[in-house]
Amino acid sequence: VLNRRELNRREVLQKCLALGSVTMMTAQGSTAMLLAFEEKELRKPTPPNELGPFYKKRAPETAVLRATGDPGMPLSVSGQILDTRGEKVTNAVVEVWQTDHFGHYDLDGYRYRASLSPDGSGSYKFESVIPGHYPDRVCQHIHYLARAPGHKPLVTQLYFATDPVFDGDPDKNFSRDPLIHSRELVRPVMLLGDPKDIHAAVNFELCLELA
Amino acid sequence: MSRSLAVIAIMLLLSPALLAQAPYLEKTILLPPGVVVRHTAVSPAGNFIAALCGDQKLRLWDVSSGSLLHTLDLTGQELISVRFSGDGRLLGLGGDKGLVRLWELPSATLKLEFTSPRAVEALAISPDTELLAAAPLEEAVEVWDLTSGKQLTKMRAPFSGTSALAFSPDSRWLATADGDANIRAYDARTGALRTTTEDFLLEAFAIAYSTDGKHILAGGADRAINVIDSSSGRVLRSFPKQDDALADLRPSRDGKLVAAAYFNVDSASKPAPVVIWDLATQSPRTRILAPDVVPNGCEFLADGRLLLTSGSEHELKVWSVR
Repeated sequence: VLNRRELNRREVLQKCLALGSVTMMTAQGSTAMLLAFEEKELRKPTPPNELGPFYKKRAPETAVLRATGDPGMPLSVSGQILDTRGEKVTNAVVEVWQTDHFGHYDLDGYRYRASLSPDGSGSYKFESVIPGHYPDRVCQHIHYLARAPGHKPLVTQLYFATDPVFDGDPDKNFSRDPLIHSRELVRPVMLLGDPKDIHAAVNFELCLELA
Repeated sequence: MSRSLAVIAIMLLLSPALLAQAPYLEKTILLPPGVVVRHTAVSPAGNFIAALCGDQKLRLWDVSSGSLLHTLDLTGQELISVRFSGDGRLLGLGGDKGLVRLWELPSATLKLEFTSPRAVEALAISPDTELLAAAPLEEAVEVWDLTSGKQLTKMRAPFSGTSALAFSPDSRWLATADGDANIRAYDARTGALRTTTEDFLLEAFAIAYSTDGKHILAGGADRAINVIDSSSGRVLRSFPKQDDALADLRPSRDGKLVAAAYFNVDSASKPAPVVIWDLATQSPRTRILAPDVVPNGCEFLADGRLLLTSGSEHELKVWSVR
């Protein structure tokens, strides 16, 4: 009976060798195959998460979503964009959208919506506020759509370990929001600055799958 | 000041017309104890009402007698989407884990069952009752042949799923409202893309073909009904923007009206109206939202009446608007 569980890289190679399929290939071909297996598993792709109903096309190219005087905890989000081989992706376009501090999406304009381009090292960064709780969702979140030539589009969401919904224990409580399928999307939040002027910082690396 | 007076004057001018279209209570259906209705589908033939209930059962009532005909389910799955065929003889139901069941009515004989990859966000049955389309969350739309019981084709938007589906009146085309905010139309049997409408900035949640098939009506987060030329995919015009987002669109059989169901963007659980629009003048003819009529499902019938339901606990009220 064929065991249908997913085989890992080593098991596949062992089976190929056992069946002679690797020896059927040229030396170059087998090297390429080995590399392909190695490359494929260097990094795990960022888990996808629902697009949600309020994506808006043609968001402005800006890294500053927060306007002066906006209510809410100031937030800096940054991260590297890589692919599953571990290579930097410098030609990605990352669209982000979120509610304001009060849990309201701007449908008329582009408040708290942006299109970001990574710098030469494949890093992105934007300035915002911690989003409010949208009434029909459990957790605070920021939506992401990352696209790059030669890669599969990534649709996901960023969550905050400080979200009161998690009661300080996101490991245990992340599934209180039924839309959070992966603990990995709940990111630690660093609080920085003077006690009178605290702002939050989150790192969220994006790993894209090859097309 | 003058602006306020102008608004009041317009309201006074409009209100007699709106009052003249007040819903007429056709029937009150008593619900079994503890049963709460979340949403209903009304058969276009006017004979059945199917209600998605809080206990994850679908209850089918005969409208004229008010009697409960069948209680159906998806074997433990949460009920997400429901759709009658245009002739009211087929009823499709989609669940949160991808299960789709299609029954023949009135016997509720199971005609087709399959499992899509994820929660079934939308269903559509072709007017010739030969095809069923299902839209799983963020996955490709599937079209199934109801005669052979086989999947015919799949169609997928580049990075999103599909929120709403509509077959053309001749059953040849399938229009999709996609999460990437584009409207697409495909050959329903081959999956070949016919048109892509890229003019919308926000996602449409409601889509329907006009009765003559010449236009696709679509709208959603943009809070307006947009009229698209079916053959070119070009947006011809947009109706005035409303306060709420569009959830559903139902054209009348004579092609003159469309009923638009709305939802509150900031909280979908808040009440929102059904508005009957005149397609020729692009003006609202009737707006239905009163404390005793908070709509939770509607359909135009062949005789020109709009049948709609309200109520969630204890009783389900069936109203008609002429």
